[in-house]
Amino acid sequence: MTKNPIVNGKLVCVALNDSEQFNAMQAEFAEAPYKGAPTQPVLYFKPHNTWSTDGAVVEWAEGADSMVVGASLAVVFGKECCRVSQAEALDYVEGYTLVHDFSLVEQNYYRPDIKGKCLDTTAPIGAEVVSIADPQALTVITSVNGTVVNETPVSQLVRGVAELISTISYIMTLQPGDVIAVGFPGQRAPVAKGDNVSSVIDGVTKLNNVLGN
Amino acid sequence: MKHARVLFNGSTLDVTVEDSFSETGQLKSKADGQLINEADVTWLSPIAEPGTIFALGLNYADHAAELAFAPPTEPLVFLKGANTLTGHKENSYRPDNIEFQHYECELVAVIGKEGKNISREDAMDYISGYTVCNDFAIRDYLENYYRPNLRVKSRDSLCPIGPWLIDKDDVGDISDLKLTTHVNGELTQEGTTADIIFDLPFLVEYLSKIMTLKPGDMIATGTPKGLKDMQPGDTVVCEIEKVGALVTNIVSEQEFYGDKY
Repeated sequence: MTKNPIVNGKLVCVALNDSEQFNAMQAEFAEAPYKGAPTQPVLYFKPHNTWSTDGAVVEWAEGADSMVVGASLAVVFGKECCRVSQAEALDYVEGYTLVHDFSLVEQNYYRPDIKGKCLDTTAPIGAEVVSIADPQALTVITSVNGTVVNETPVSQLVRGVAELISTISYIMTLQPGDVIAVGFPGQRAPVAKGDNVSSVIDGVTKLNNVLGN
Repeated sequence: MKHARVLFNGSTLDVTVEDSFSETGQLKSKADGQLINEADVTWLSPIAEPGTIFALGLNYADHAAELAFAPPTEPLVFLKGANTLTGHKENSYRPDNIEFQHYECELVAVIGKEGKNISREDAMDYISGYTVCNDFAIRDYLENYYRPNLRVKSRDSLCPIGPWLIDKDDVGDISDLKLTTHVNGELTQEGTTADIIFDLPFLVEYLSKIMTLKPGDMIATGTPKGLKDMQPGDTVVCEIEKVGALVTNIVSEQEFYGDKY
């Protein structure tokens, strides 16, 4: 496992934040076990055993038939961020990078997905932290073996960057080196052993990984 | 041996807690043997570099019944951020405008050695020691997405831990330790680790099959029945036989955050 130089404290990821997926799932949200659409951001941690780097080989989950990947714009905090408003939220950001979230296929969202999401090395984080004036204007593009599999504008997220920072900062104080992955495509891309996965943000930053065997 | 971390004269100090502590109130600096009065310190989380904090939901049969859930057939594991940790005798807050916040007295096992695919038989070799945590929950914030969600379980200060880490061998058998919680002196929760559904060796095997466990990772093993709402001004004591008694003061959100409120 490779220690990532950027993420230091916690890596908070936001699920169900792609509006296309969110809208498409409304009927499912109404049924058990959810019994209602989420009223708050749906958050999960990728713990420290998952953190990895640009260029790293991502371990194939032992015994798994299939895995999926999603990429997200990642917000890196530069100073302590506690209970901030949306208007001031971006002032606490040191910069932005990309996160890949490799996991088992998402079965449902009812219980924390420890088995699917906490596999070693499955959260590579970009090598550089880039300053960006308007994160909402970005688009995250992911390719598997050179073929584009996802193209998600940040503006397509149900909750935007500033809103998420504000909401999360009222739950937990964010520290320098904490990272929030603000949202993944609702359709995660299937990957196979040995696949090359690369994501870019409009030529601003990139993240490349290879699936192990 | 009992290992603690305290803030003393503005510095973090590693101390041991000797048997004489209950009479003398003195802690012993690991660096130079200096004796320090408890009154002069602030207790910190006993784990210097907290790793992943695993917590178990519904892991006592009586508690699962209390919440009207069938006992799980597989561990219900969730993760907590290190922002939740605070020391013995420190403040935890009750959020504004909620109906129900309850404590959860839990035995915490701390990982001492890195391992993956650890068998149940070898599991205890990877444990360095134990402490107590109070894994508070805000039931108002429960939603059926990654339940119990981070808004319920990963709030600042809402997982007091300590007072100390006690070496595994000083506790010995953990299969029938008594747990109690007192609120303002009144006994409100009582149970035993004998009622744990998935025991520690099982959990180490289960988790390490998924992921590498590392030193500083913690497993909070769940809580027995006996829920009670907490209010600012309450003092809650979570005690586990042979391990320790963890004291927490409940304050309002405004008092806790002060200028940042």
